[in-house]
Amino acid sequence: MYLLLLAWLTLGSHCHWPCFWHMEARSAIWRHLCGLGVCHPVGCAVFGPGPLLGLYEGFLPGDTARHHRAVILDLLEEALTEAGLTSQDIDCIAYTKGPGMGAPLVSVAVVARTVAQLWNKPLLGVNHCIGHIEMGRLITGATSPTVLYVSGGNTQVIAYSEHRYRIFGETIDIAVGNCLDRFARVLKISNDPSPGYNIEQMAKRGKKLVELPYTVKGMDVSFSGILSFIEDAAQRMLATGECTPEDLCFSLQETVFAMLVEITERAMAHCGSQEALIVGGVGCNLRLQEMMETMCQERGARLFATDERFCIDNGAMIAQAGWEMFQAGHRTPLSDSGITQRYRTDEVEVTWRD
Amino acid sequence: MQVADAGAGGVAGGADSRDGHRGLGSPGALAAAASEAPRVPGPSQVSGPGGDASSTTGRPETRVHVFALCVPFPSNVEAEIACASLAPDREPHGSVVKKELTVTGSILAIRWRAENPRLLRISIINFLDQLSLVMRTMQRFGPPVSR
Repeated sequence: MYLLLLAWLTLGSHCHWPCFWHMEARSAIWRHLCGLGVCHPVGCAVFGPGPLLGLYEGFLPGDTARHHRAVILDLLEEALTEAGLTSQDIDCIAYTKGPGMGAPLVSVAVVARTVAQLWNKPLLGVNHCIGHIEMGRLITGATSPTVLYVSGGNTQVIAYSEHRYRIFGETIDIAVGNCLDRFARVLKISNDPSPGYNIEQMAKRGKKLVELPYTVKGMDVSFSGILSFIEDAAQRMLATGECTPEDLCFSLQETVFAMLVEITERAMAHCGSQEALIVGGVGCNLRLQEMMETMCQERGARLFATDERFCIDNGAMIAQAGWEMFQAGHRTPLSDSGITQRYRTDEVEVTWRD
Repeated sequence: MQVADAGAGGVAGGADSRDGHRGLGSPGALAAAASEAPRVPGPSQVSGPGGDASSTTGRPETRVHVFALCVPFPSNVEAEIACASLAPDREPHGSVVKKELTVTGSILAIRWRAENPRLLRISIINFLDQLSLVMRTMQRFGPPVSR
């Protein structure tokens, strides 16, 4: 039995993290075998926006949407060709319902709806955050981890309980990736390949820990205060030679990552959890993984993390979550298929888990 | 699959071009633009055709702008598919710009009502981009399979 999903992803939640600066979008086709019969989830992933974005700017929704509209049909055809499948082999169409930026989400959703109708296949609107979680679980084999989801657009600590991915803690203002990316702009750090990656490399050369505001509030975190502080302080401190840009990168990482480790640990203690999973683009950061590993070891817990192929937004994760939903009998009627910029992780009934 | 040319269809109805709104020249699209102005009278009004909201008394006038678009498709099935693909997403400024999609025969009709001409214009432009994408999708991956 062939069960197939075709999914697209928008870069909607990646508001401030441009990945590549090349003219073409790369497509990644991913398949795996599982369980009964042969199952071929197929994902189209759009890595990186097109030529429209500047080297020191963030994503603009209109430009991102334009990019998606320009590449999506080729990508779809390429996915089918590479997988050696026709539209008749497809069982359902999974797409990102939200959260994220409006225009890019719509660009992908209209194509999903159109092909679903053309081919007479069911439609599945997937929550982007749940896409990350399901892909993380699949790739790492973690059974029921406490999840730290950190990206340019999201910062949440999530644990599964009674058919919901419950949000135990989150940012009360901006995402940690957003904070890092905007800090990179203050120091004019290049976006190639990504601001976060460049901050990570510079941080390795930092020697001095500059004291920054540490803002954990109960189970939650806040980053806009740290960002304002460092935006003000950076120019002054660099001018007086009090520290180097590398010191600032190092200090910012140590501070924000420690905050994330704290709220993750708090959730793990609350749930009695022995597994932690990091997903989302900021999860690529090896220093964050290292700090989380230290905390896990101290608790006798196990850390799961993925590499940049799966941390960063990708189409396959939408396919994976869509696959789980499809198997559990979820369907998204066309009239309910509208995208939504705000879509809480705990709004979805997770019927595919016990 | 080809979308019918504007010429082949025969333009129906007058495209009233008051206030500088121009009908679209894109193939396969017939557009009628009109600006209705149910005015809220104030003691003195100094306002241009764009619906200038400022007046010497501070009472803004309310104009409702209407824009209508008719898009022919080769058949009713395609028109319904396009409608179902384009209708579900809500307008970003839903309290100010409203649009309605209906299908009659093989024609998809979209009607906008908006108080703000700038937001109306943005909505129309965005819609046309998405419409174009839907049409390209149908051209590449159609025709619809039989039910």
